[in-house]
Amino acid sequence: MEPLISATLRHPHRVFFPGDELLCEYQLDAVMQSDVHAVEAAVLWFTEGKGTEDMGVHCFHRRTPDDAEDQDLRSLHQFGTILPNSPLSYSGLIVKIRWCVRIRLFLRDARQYHHDIPFELRARPC
Amino acid sequence: MPRYRLLGKKRGTKRTGSNLVGSLGEAAFFTLLFVIGVLGLTALVVAQVNHPSPNYRLGFGFWLMVGVMVSFILIGGGGVVIRIFKVGMSSERRLALARKAAHIDLLSDAMPSTIDFPSIPRDSDLTNSPGVRLAYRLPAMHSPVVRLATITVFSVVWNIVSVVLVIVAWSSHREDQADWLLTLFALPFVGIGIWSGFYTVKQWWQHASIGPTHVEISEHPLYPGKAYDVYMSQMGQMKLDSLTLALVCDEEATFHQGTDIRTETRRVRSQEFFRETEVRIEPGSPFEQVCRITIPEDGMHSFHSSHNAVTWNLVVKGESTSWPSFERSFPVVVYPLSVEESESLAAGS
Repeated sequence: MEPLISATLRHPHRVFFPGDELLCEYQLDAVMQSDVHAVEAAVLWFTEGKGTEDMGVHCFHRRTPDDAEDQDLRSLHQFGTILPNSPLSYSGLIVKIRWCVRIRLFLRDARQYHHDIPFELRARPC
Repeated sequence: MPRYRLLGKKRGTKRTGSNLVGSLGEAAFFTLLFVIGVLGLTALVVAQVNHPSPNYRLGFGFWLMVGVMVSFILIGGGGVVIRIFKVGMSSERRLALARKAAHIDLLSDAMPSTIDFPSIPRDSDLTNSPGVRLAYRLPAMHSPVVRLATITVFSVVWNIVSVVLVIVAWSSHREDQADWLLTLFALPFVGIGIWSGFYTVKQWWQHASIGPTHVEISEHPLYPGKAYDVYMSQMGQMKLDSLTLALVCDEEATFHQGTDIRTETRRVRSQEFFRETEVRIEPGSPFEQVCRITIPEDGMHSFHSSHNAVTWNLVVKGESTSWPSFERSFPVVVYPLSVEESESLAAGS
């Protein structure tokens, strides 16, 4: 059975503006504590469309068992970041820009699992 | 769950099949290259030491082989080190490390940085030339000088080769030892040489007739919803059916197609701000015009990443039936409204 990565954004509509604070919390289930090697959480954008995919990481946290209480990375953990001015989410003809929070789980046997939570970064209305 | 198969496709950093198998395959390839380099270099040196020949000095072939083997060692060794570095490291982590390193570098730079506006190109190259009428003179995207110089050099070199071939062929005919193979070989050379000569002269004549285009702008960078003054001047000696100034937005996507790298461009916005018909331009009296442009409120900001881009350009286009038409682009950078800009605009309205 695959491990379960549960993650939620503290913003129900998943629409953010530059300068907003994004808060995310995540936890792991269906995995033994001793099997977890590390957990990475990243707020990133990536491109879609005709071109080769590009990616940019705005915020990155990596946690190993030494960083957690009782060395248990499965318990609920929260992180936050202030969103940047750019690049804004965009749906063009051959270029699209998407934002997401990506939680990546590394197991001790070298397997990796990840879970994405998409959101939009829009221009702040005047 | 990734499926294991012998062949897979790779696009950018993405691949079908297992990442682990792909990484192992790359590591095996670089290891093999490294081992071949080490063994080859060792064999070369040992053979030279064990069987030195006093009659022969080390020649070009020996040093060529040494160079090849050393390059195998460097490429193979470097590849293995990079593979080991990447094993177990996510692409997000690698990018985060690269971003941290880039920020350290940017902190020492006095120019306006991209830290505040990530993935938006700097405008320092666009604002380093003051204008005569307005604040900044914008540089043209592609200077015709490089293209003209390339065409001219090609034409000169090609025609020199053609003349040499013709002289040699002509000599053989004069000495009654006609080299027909050389003569036939020289004919297409001469044809291409004549064509390139005419083409070069035509390009220089067109360049001299059309003359330079200057575009100046009142402010930079640009922001959605704001208006700016633009001054344009067109020099030369010509008669145009129409002369236009437009603000255009293009998307650019670079991708691999087989072994080629291709870039596709799509125009997603084009707004004409000025059009003049029946334009006659004489030497010493350039056509000049000031107009006001507005960046669309819902327009995307400029964006640039390794393989994708959104660009904005001011495009001057001259069309004529009797003269060659031309189109010249002047890049501008559009920023999104920052938090402070948005608040000040909201307060103003």
